[in-house]
Order: sequence, then structure tokens, then C-alpha cells
Amino acid sequence: MAKRFVTTKVEVEGREETKVVELPTREPEPWGVDASLHIVGRRDKRMDALEKVTGEAEYTADVQLPGMLYVALARASVAAGKMQSLDLAPALAMPGVRGAITMDDVPGIKLDGIQVFDRTIHYVYQPIAAICADTQEIAERAVRAIHPAIERLPHVLDAASALAPDAPRVKPHGNLHRASPRVASRGDIAAGLRDAEVTITREYRTPVALHTALEPHGAVAAWSGDRVTVWESTQGIFNTRSDLAEAFELPLSSVRVVKNYMGGGFGAKNGASLAAYTAVALSRKLRRPVRCIFDREGEQTDAGNRTATVQRVTLGARRDGTLTAISLDATIPLGIGGWLSSPARMYSEMYRCANVRTSETFVFTNTAPMASFRAPGNVEGAFGLESAMDVLAHELEMDPLELRRRNYADHDQDKNRRYSAKHLDECYRLGAERFGWSRARSRKRDTSARVRRGVGMASLAWGAGGGPPAYATVRINGDGSIEVLTGAQDLGTGARTVLAQVAAEVLGAKLDDVRTVLGDTERLPFASNSWGSITTASVGPAVRVAAEEARDALFEAAAGMLDTEPNELESRDSEIHAKSSDRCLLFREVCEKLGDVMIIGQGSRGPNPEKTALSAFGAQFAEVEVDVETGRVRVLRVVSAHDSGRIVNPTLAESQLEGGIIQGLGYALFEERILDSRTGVPLNPTMHDYKIPTIGDVPEIDAFFVDIPDTVANHTGVKGVAEPPIIATAPAIANAVADALGVEVAEIPMTPWRVLGSVRGGSIA
Amino acid sequence: MRLIVNGASHEVAAPDHERLLTTLRDRLHLTGTKLVCGRGECGACTVLLDGAPAYACLTLTAACHGREVSTIEGLAQDGELHPVQQAFIDHDALQCGFCTPGQILAAVGLLDRQPHPSEDDVRRGMSGNLCRCGTYPKIVRAVLAAAEGGAGNG
Ligand code: FES
Ligand code: FES
Repeated sequence: MAKRFVTTKVEVEGREETKVVELPTREPEPWGVDASLHIVGRRDKRMDALEKVTGEAEYTADVQLPGMLYVALARASVAAGKMQSLDLAPALAMPGVRGAITMDDVPGIKLDGIQVFDRTIHYVYQPIAAICADTQEIAERAVRAIHPAIERLPHVLDAASALAPDAPRVKPHGNLHRASPRVASRGDIAAGLRDAEVTITREYRTPVALHTALEPHGAVAAWSGDRVTVWESTQGIFNTRSDLAEAFELPLSSVRVVKNYMGGGFGAKNGASLAAYTAVALSRKLRRPVRCIFDREGEQTDAGNRTATVQRVTLGARRDGTLTAISLDATIPLGIGGWLSSPARMYSEMYRCANVRTSETFVFTNTAPMASFRAPGNVEGAFGLESAMDVLAHELEMDPLELRRRNYADHDQDKNRRYSAKHLDECYRLGAERFGWSRARSRKRDTSARVRRGVGMASLAWGAGGGPPAYATVRINGDGSIEVLTGAQDLGTGARTVLAQVAAEVLGAKLDDVRTVLGDTERLPFASNSWGSITTASVGPAVRVAAEEARDALFEAAAGMLDTEPNELESRDSEIHAKSSDRCLLFREVCEKLGDVMIIGQGSRGPNPEKTALSAFGAQFAEVEVDVETGRVRVLRVVSAHDSGRIVNPTLAESQLEGGIIQGLGYALFEERILDSRTGVPLNPTMHDYKIPTIGDVPEIDAFFVDIPDTVANHTGVKGVAEPPIIATAPAIANAVADALGVEVAEIPMTPWRVLGSVRGGSIA
Repeated sequence: MRLIVNGASHEVAAPDHERLLTTLRDRLHLTGTKLVCGRGECGACTVLLDGAPAYACLTLTAACHGREVSTIEGLAQDGELHPVQQAFIDHDALQCGFCTPGQILAAVGLLDRQPHPSEDDVRRGMSGNLCRCGTYPKIVRAVLAAAEGGAGNG
């Protein structure tokens, strides 16, 4: 008998994991270039748009339950310390206050390695207690009545001071993460440098950036008997469920996590949040439904961030541009916790080079923990690598695009394996053409003008192949309407729509007859977090299999009714036709005849191909205008060419590209968390002071796909779209600014004062 | 005090310092209006006050006595979407949708003031509404299309 369970490799956020996978009941033929598809690839409208334009879409903070109580969080105001006393009596005495929890109510529950509501203070804004009251206003007033006595301890805020010899200890074992330095190499870096005819060394700095999702972290919890239902704004309902079940020592079946709509995640909402632990604990204690939603200040200070980096880069090349050595020494302060996202990945993957050495030092500091943020690691790494590539091109007097083409990596060099498909060359070609790259490059620069123009480009790669496990069920109801059920989530990405498109394609149904149901652990089969750009490539194949199974059952039922064989049938627009006669039946007619028989198809995601790297690629081109008197950078246009395999819905996918590019523009020009260097107090925890792009900052964007199905990756030919577009934007813009000014850019964001400094000093730093 | 929301009159017992956003969301359970920054920095709470856009997070309920408040829930008439709502769907001017109610009401207010805006007018008129998903290019298109269709003349 064939094996039912096998293992396979799945890459998520740059980390490759081995997963057990249950082999699907069938492995359909891949949809290749010639597959005749009608609905997959079509520009259908977003299927949940109506709920969103009418205000009916229910987000977590919109959940209203009878008797619901509201929470406000008390937070620390020092960067390091020991809480001597925490007297909650003044808060609890206020009318309308119903209860509170502290560390003692949630023993052993940890987030990012830190005890929830810890009495030891690790960073400013760390939560220390939660107060629950009849209204949000009372809860907030009650929090202001709490005055904890905290003994201050010395703290460190940045990597340099954390690494100083006599630095205060952030963690009991020291300030270095145990995995530091993480060194990876291939070939012989010393030999590569000896072989180089041109060598450049530079240092690049990137800021701490904040996700700033419009919907903050939040949860509502309601117990009933010994079970709890939790509404949470999360990218992973099943992850959240296991986190909560473990923390509260419940069977998984006693925790139900619901998430219908969410107002953005961008990587920061990958499991149970502090809001969820708090709501569940308070609701258990008070036996009432409890809502805990972060306020904006909490969201901007304690809800994850992209780590800052310092990247010291050396590139060596021959005169003809061939790279002989790539070396990176990166320092990455994590804050008090988080995981090890890797800027080194870009350095080892993007270009062909036999000798690569990367070293990453991860450091703990007394600042809020980091979290994944859209293409974590690659965004930071791309700024360093792609800036350095332009410096090298300049040294070699070579077109930057030409330098990149000459060092095209045709396979995954680190693991010495093939790519399932790679069409970066097409991205270079089409992107350059649509941008008018050579014309723009050859234009003369006016070095006396006040407003100067420049162009730049950058490449990107991202492991966006997805993988198992993922399950889906397709049900055909008695009236012919169809439901796709899967425990994935739609973050605003369009997952609801594209999964319905896949099902409608297979079934030959009208898209309007199909509804995708997501976001409920109690009612839906497992799908993993919506992270790492994996949802469509992971869940889409499972939906395809489920829909095939359902279609086969439907055809079998219809064959009898049409006096023919199932393989003599085809379907289109929810109608089944006999190929050899003109007889036909609507799905509805077949199902009505079946009475209460429900047609159900089950599908799962099969393993990934062996010894194969699954990556999305792209190239971005930017044109900017820099005012040398004000230091203001304006991005005029961006052309972004992407290879993400087959595109299920180009309109929705282009929207995601634009969104990624605009976030990348913010990272390049405005976004930077600023701490008071003495106290560690965040100075810009508002949307006024932490600048995300507005509609006025948006350039003309031409973002598109080469749209070639990747039939090796999976049988739908799809790879991920969400994260790639943010990766190359900052370096493309920085390279354009450098081109405009004739000086290098060493640090982002390129705020006016940094740009002015560089105009005067010769380098932007 | 009396508040007229989407044409219906409500008696609300809001204290003097209560914000319109709280009254709408927590008392009247009209949760389409979103709380994001709570201090006039993002536009997610935009409603129409006597037809003009206002940030509900910076408006005192007490100041709205007897005034007409329109929220996203009241925009569609007799089951027909407002042309701006329809344009947002048609042009995919939304992703997560959290900023969308505020964007739509800001656009409705803009087109009432300026039925035939240029692209620049749209950018200026909508610049008080932030979107982290980056739907801006599509919002520009949607608002211009709605204007073209005569949304501002109705
Ligand atoms: S919530 Fe009112 S402007 Fe942001
Ligand atoms: S659509 Fe998500 S914030 Fe605008």
C-alpha cells in the first residue's frame, strides 16, 4: 500500500521546516501554460468588498456581546527595573471597575520569552496589569489610578551599548542571543577576495519600523462552561488556538478561535497576542465576556517591529563584473525577544557567487520585542546588498542592471538545488522596457539644478512556495450553491476570492454561486497561518483537490439523470452538459433531485517537490526627484515586475503589489521608531509622528506579473505575492537618490535632514 | 439629548465629554465607523456631520444635538449602494477594509464640495485618510470614476 504520511520541506519567512504531510487522495495534473482556464486568471471583484464598503464586515473590536466588559492595560514607564509593589486597590475601588489581573493570574504564560505582566520590567510600555470595567473609559481612568513602585535598573537600548564590555545584562545569560554569531559560508571568502580586481566595503543602517496596521491587536473572549470562544485579529486562528489551549491547559477542542475580518497584520499577528491572553484570563475570572483592544499608543510601542540592522558589506568582483566574493557582518538588535530573521539570506541567494560568508549577531536590548514584518530579513538585507551592488557598478563603470544580469543565479547555491522556476530575467527585461531604463540612465544629470532627478533599480527574491499541511472541504448544497471551507484567513489579501475562483474553475460553477468560509477553528479544517506569502500556494491546491472530488460526485449523480457516463459530462456556469447530446442540467436541478444528499469533497495539500527551491522573484525600478535645498525626496514613478508563478486574480494581486511598494516607500523615506536615547521612551508612538505614506506620497506605479505558471512548485502553478513587492523598494529608491545626487546613501529612512547632510557631506548617513 | 443618525432619531444619555465615535460604536452599535488613532490623525472615524466630513473621534456628542450624522451604515439607499461605494468595489479600492468606511465618507464629502475634482484635488481631498494596505492608487481611480458617474451631483 502506498504511504499515507510523508515528510516535506516548507519555507516560511525565510525558515525552512520539515513537515509531515498526509498525501492527498489524488494529485491532479498541473495546470500548465496551455491549461484552458476560465475563472482562474480572471479579474473578478473582491468577494467580500460589499461587507467592507457598507461597514458590515465584523472586525474584532466590532464584536458586541451582552454584558461585555472592557480592558485597559497598565504599562511600565521605565526601560528596566523591578516592581516593588503594585497596589491595585485605588483602581478596584472605582465605580464600574469589575476586576483586574496581574502576573499572578497568568503564571507561566510567556510571550516572546517574557512572563506576561512580569514584575521585572524589560522595556518601556511593557504591560504590568490589566483592569476590567463596564466601559473603556472607566477602565482607562482606573489604570491612571495605579502607581506602581518600581526600582529602576540600568538598561541598554541599542546594539552597540549592549555589546560594550561592562554593559548591564538584559537577560540573565547576557546580551547576545545564543545563536550569535550565526555564520554561514560557501566557497572560500579569502580566495574570493584575492581573486577580486575590484573590492568595495560599505556599512549600511536600517531603522526599526512599525507595522502600524490600522486595526490594532485585540481580542474578545467569552467562556461558556469549560470552553472559551475567542475572537482575535490574527493571521493564524489555529496557532492562536494552540497557544491559548497550552497556556490555559485546555484541550484544543475547548478553545474556539474566530476571525472573520482583520484590519491588516503584516506579520505582527501570528499567534495569541497579549490581548487574547488578557481577555481569556479576565473572562475566566469574572465569568463575563471581555474585550481587550490595544490603544494606538500600545500598538505603536508594544506590538512588534522590524528590527534595525547594521550591515557591513564587502563585495569583490572581476573587471567584467563577475562577483568573486560577498561578505556580510550584520548586527541585529531584537529588543527583549523575538526570532532570528535573516538579512543574510539576500546576500547568499540573490546573485551567483562561489564565495560567500555571512555573519549575523543578534543582540538583546531593553526595547519592545520584534516581530515578523512583511518579508522580514530580506527587506533589511536587500537595502544593504542592493545599495552595495550599485556602488560596485559605479566602481566598474557598468550599468547597475547589467551587473545584476551578469551575476544571475540559475540555481539555489546554498543548498545546491534547482529552482522550481525562475523568470527574473523576464522581470529585468520587461521592467527595464516599461520603465525606459536605458533612456533614463543615459539622460544627462544637471548638477546645478535645485531639483535633481535620478533613477535606480533593485532585485528581489522570496521563498514563497507555500506547502502542506492545508485542508479544504467543498460542499454543494441542495440548491446548487457551493461552499469552500478552510481554516485559512484573509488579511485583506483576497484569499476569500482566489480560493473561490479555484473551486469555481474546477467545478465549472459560476463564481457567484461559490462562497469561501474562513476563520473559525471549530467549524473548519486546518490551514496554517497566513504568513510568508503562502496562503494561495498552500491552500489553493487543497481546494482544487476538494473541488475535483465534489465535481466527480456531482457528475456521477448527473450521469444517471442524463443517461450517460460521468466522463461524458462537462460543466460551465453551474450547468452540466452531456458532450454527445444537447441535454443539460443545472447544478441546482441535480442537487434538488438528490434531496438531502450533500455532495462533499475533501482535499489536502500534497508535498513540495524534493531538492527544489521554491521562490518568487522580481525587479523594481524607481525614478525620484530630490530637492537639494530642502532635502525632500519625491518618488515619481515605480515600475515593478514580478515572477510569482500563475496569478489567480491579477487585479487583487496588483493591489497587493501596490500596497507592498507603498509600504516600502514609507520604509525608504519616512518610517523610523525613535526612542529617547536616555530613557528608552518611544518618542513617536502616534500616527502623526510615525509617518506612514499618505495618498499624496504615492508615485505612479506600474506593477505587473510575468505570469508564467510554476508547474513544478504545485499543481495550481501559483507562488506567493504578498511580501515580494516590499523587498526591493527601499534600495531602488535609495539607488535613484544616489544617482540624482551623485552621493551614496548609507542609511534609511532618507529624511530631509539626512539628505541635506549628504548633499553637504558627500554621503547620506 | 437627541441625535439624528442616518435619518433616525436617537435619545442618548451621553456625558458631556463623550466623543461621537464612542456614542456611535458603543451606544448605538454602529461599528462601521472605526477607531484607529483616536486623535484626528488617520481619518478612519470619518462621518458626515450635516453633510460635511468630520472626525468622530474629535467630535463631542454633546455638540451634535439635533444635527444630522451620516455613517457608512446609512450610505446605501433602498438597497442601492452609493456610487462611491460601488466605485470602491469596481476599482478594488480596498484590501483589509478597515480604513474603507472613513475613506468612502471622505470621498462622498469631497465630491459634494467638488463634484468634478482633478486627480490632484482627490489626492489633497483624501489626504486626511490613511491606509496601511496601500490602496491609494485604486482610491484615486475610484473617486475619479465616481465623479465621472456624477456621484457628486446627487
Ligand atoms: S480615529 Fe479619528 S482620526 Fe483616527
Ligand atoms: S484597506 Fe487596509 S488600511 Fe486601508
